[in-house]
Amino acid sequence: MVETLHNLYIGFAVALSPNVLLYAFVGCVIGTLVGVLPGVGPLAGISLLLPASFGLDATSAIVLLAGIYYGAMYGGSTTSILMRIPGEAASVMTCIDGYEMTRKGRAGAALAVAAVGSYVAGTVSVVALMLLAPPLASFALRFGPPEYFALLLLGLLMLAYMSGGSILKSLAMATLGLLLGMIGIDPMTGFFRFSYGLMELGDGIGVVPVAVGLFGLSEILLTAGQPTPPEVKKPRLRELLPTREEWRASLWPIGRGTVLGFLIGIIPGSAHIISSFVSYAVERRLSKHPERFGQGAIEGVAGPESANNSATSGAFVPMLALGVPSGPIPAVMIAAMMVHGISPGPLLIAQQPELFWGFIASMYVGNVVLLILNLPLVGIFVNVLKVPYPLLYPSILIFCVLGVYAVNGSIVDVGIMTVMGALGYVLRKFDFETAPVVLGLILAPMMEMSFRQSLSMSSGSYHIFVNRPIALVMLVVGLALLVLSLAPWLMKTLDWRQRFGLASGQEK
Amino acid sequence: MREIYSPNGLGLHRQIYFIFALLILLLFIFGLTAESFGQDSYPNRPITIVAPFPPGGVADLTARPVAAAMEKVLKNPVVVVNKTGAAGAVGMSYVANSKADGYNLLMALSSISIIPEADKLFDRKPAYTMDQLIPIALISADPTIFVVNADRPWKNVKEFVEDAKRRPGEISYSSSGVYGTLHMAMEMLSHSAGINLKHVPYAGAGPALTAILGGHVDTLASGPAVIIPHIKAGKLRPLAGWGAKRVASLPEVPTFKELGYDIEFYIWAGLFAPRGTPAPVMQKVRESVKQSVNTPEFKSAMEKLETPIAYMDAPEFEKFWHKDAKMLADAIKRIGKIEIPEAK
Repeated sequence: MVETLHNLYIGFAVALSPNVLLYAFVGCVIGTLVGVLPGVGPLAGISLLLPASFGLDATSAIVLLAGIYYGAMYGGSTTSILMRIPGEAASVMTCIDGYEMTRKGRAGAALAVAAVGSYVAGTVSVVALMLLAPPLASFALRFGPPEYFALLLLGLLMLAYMSGGSILKSLAMATLGLLLGMIGIDPMTGFFRFSYGLMELGDGIGVVPVAVGLFGLSEILLTAGQPTPPEVKKPRLRELLPTREEWRASLWPIGRGTVLGFLIGIIPGSAHIISSFVSYAVERRLSKHPERFGQGAIEGVAGPESANNSATSGAFVPMLALGVPSGPIPAVMIAAMMVHGISPGPLLIAQQPELFWGFIASMYVGNVVLLILNLPLVGIFVNVLKVPYPLLYPSILIFCVLGVYAVNGSIVDVGIMTVMGALGYVLRKFDFETAPVVLGLILAPMMEMSFRQSLSMSSGSYHIFVNRPIALVMLVVGLALLVLSLAPWLMKTLDWRQRFGLASGQEK
Repeated sequence: MREIYSPNGLGLHRQIYFIFALLILLLFIFGLTAESFGQDSYPNRPITIVAPFPPGGVADLTARPVAAAMEKVLKNPVVVVNKTGAAGAVGMSYVANSKADGYNLLMALSSISIIPEADKLFDRKPAYTMDQLIPIALISADPTIFVVNADRPWKNVKEFVEDAKRRPGEISYSSSGVYGTLHMAMEMLSHSAGINLKHVPYAGAGPALTAILGGHVDTLASGPAVIIPHIKAGKLRPLAGWGAKRVASLPEVPTFKELGYDIEFYIWAGLFAPRGTPAPVMQKVRESVKQSVNTPEFKSAMEKLETPIAYMDAPEFEKFWHKDAKMLADAIKRIGKIEIPEAK
C-alpha cells in the first residue's frame, strides 16, 4: 500500500509535468471531438493520431492516445442525447432515454449526469486498475472461447429483460441483428457468406453504419415526415443542471454501471461494447418504475454512460499488466509502445514504472480535465437545439455521411447506413425497437467465433461448455434469467387458460 | 418551418450560401492548379502507400517509417492510408486496380500470395491476381518462431513431435485466421513432421497470442517481436524458428532446418506498384526506397520494432516472392477446403 502510494506520487510527478499534462489535455479534447462526430469512434480517432504520436516520447504518446479513448466515451453521449445519433457504438443505449429527456427539456440534465457519471466511473475504475491490475489480468486470461461464448449468451438473454414493449418483437429484432451479423467471411473455413460479390462485405456489416442509420437517420426521416416540426423544449439556463431528485435517481446506476463496466472491460475481446447494454438492462430490471425506461428515465443515461467509461479502464488491465492486446484499441496502443521501443509484456510495470504510474496518474488528471471541459460545454451543446430544423437536420445528415465514410473510407458503409436508415424508419413506424438489432449485430460474429472455436478445442464435444466452471456458472445464470423473465408471461398464460376453462365450463 | 423566413433565419441562410460558394471556388482553384502541375515530372503530388491492414499491424508499422524516409528522399509528401477489410484483400485489390502512375503503392505482407490461391480454391472471382502487381522492394522479413505454453511438458521439437504422433489431433495451436500466415507456418510444420494438430483460428495475431497465454491452446507460430517479452517473462517457451538463420535476439533457439525439417517461412513486408507503372517512375521509386532504408532514422525505427530490415531490390525480390508464393500455394493445396468435424 505504502509502495503503491509512493509509486503514485512518482506517477503524478510525471503526469503533472507540463509536457505530459498538455498531451493529456490535447488527447481529451480530440477524444471529445471524436466522440461527438457520429461514426468516427475511438478506434478511428486513435488510428488517425497514431502516426502523429511517433514523434513524442513514450509516456506522452500513450497518455495522448488513452486520452482520446476515454475522452471519446465522454463525447459519445452528446449527440446521442441531443440528436439520437450514437457518436460511437457504446452510446447506443444512451440514445433511447437521453433523447427522450431532450424532448422533455431535460437535455442539460442528461448531459450533466452523463458527464458526472463518466467522471465517477473513470476515476473509480482507475483506482481499481491501479490496485487490482495484476491479479485481475491473470483471471481475465482464463476467459477462453467457451467462457466468452457463455458471457455473450448471457448478454443476449439480457434482451428478454431489456425489451420495453413486446418480448416477441425484441427477440425478432435481435434475430434480425444476428442474421445481419452472419454476413462476411466464415471465420473457420474462409468462405464468403452473403457478400453478393461485394468484397467490402467480407468483414461483415459494421456496427457504426448500422447504429447511425437505425437511430440517427430514422429519426431524421420520422421528423421530416411530420406535418409540423416537433416541439423541443429549449431548456432555460437554470434548468441545465439535474434536480436533486434526478441526482438521487442517478446515484446507484452510476455505481452499478462502474462496477459492471470494469468487470466486462477486463475480459479480452470486444465485449466492452455490451457493457452499456447490460447496464441498461440491469437498471431497468432493478427500477421500481420500469415503464419509465424509454420515456426519459435518467437512470437509463447514468448507468450505461458510467459503464462504457469504466469499461475503457478495464480494457487497459490485460494490456498493462500482461502486455496482452485485449481488444482493437489496446492493440493499437501496444503498437504505439513498440514504436517507442517499449515491449509491452508481463514485466512492463516492473521495467517501466514511470510509464505505468505516469499513465495511471494521467488518467486521474484526464478525467478531471474532461469533467471541467464537458460541464461548461453542456450549456453550449444545448444551444444546438435552437438551430431551426430545416438547417439542423441536413447538417446532421452531412456529418453522418462524412463520419461513417471516414471510418474505413468505404462507400459501401454509407450505403449500409442509408439502407439501415430506411429500415429503421419502417421498423419504428411499426413500433419495433431498434436497439436489439444493434446488439444482435455486435454479438453475432463474436458468438459464432467463440462457439466454433470452443467446438474446435473440444473436437466437437459440447461438454466443453459445462466442464469449465466459469462458463458453467454463466450459463446457469443465463438460464435462470431466462426462466425469471418468462415466468410472468407463463403465469399469465396459465391464468388466462384457467379462466377460459372456467368460463367455458360455466357455459355448459 | 417558420424560423427559416424570420430575419434571423434568412441571415443564417445567406451565410451558408456564402460559405458554400467559397468552398466551391476553393475546390476549383485547387483543381486547376493540380491539373496544370500535372504535366511535371514524378512526383509532384502526394504519393499514397496503402497498408491493407489496420494501424498497429506489421504492414502499417513498416509502411510508416518507409513513408517518412521516402518523403525526405523524394522531397514530396508520402502518406500511409489504411484500407482494410477481408484479410487485406480490399486494400490489395484497390492498389492492383488503381491507376499505374506511381502515386498508389502497396505495402503488402506474405498474405498477398495467399489470397488469390484461396480464391481459386473456392472458385471465387479473384479479388486481384498476382500479375496485376509488380514488386518494388522487400523491406523486412521476420522468421516465425514456434512457441509452446510454458506449462506444457515439451522442452524441444523432438519431444513435441513424438507426443504429437502419439496423440494425433489433440495438441492444439491458435492462428491469426484460416489460410492466414500463421496457419500456413503451422501447416508446413505438420506436413514436414508428419503430424496432425488441432487448429483453432482467431481473428488476428493478437487474440491468437492471448489464447496461448491463457492456456486455451498449446502452441503458436508467431513473429519474434511480440512474443519475446512473454518468453522473457517465462510464460512461453520457444522450441524452434522457421528462418534460415537463428534469430539474433533468441540465439539459443535452433532453426527447423538445423533440426532436419526442410521448411522455411517468413512474415515479410514488401512494397508493390500496379503493373504498367512507367519504367522511369519505377526507377525513381526503387532508387528512393533504396536510399530510404539506409537512413539512420529508418534503421532506428525498425530496431525499436525489433523487426530486422531485409532489403532486396526489385529483381531479387521478384525471385524471392515467386519462390515464397509457390511454397504457400502448395501449402494451401494441401490444406484444401476445411472440413468442419461433425459435432458429437
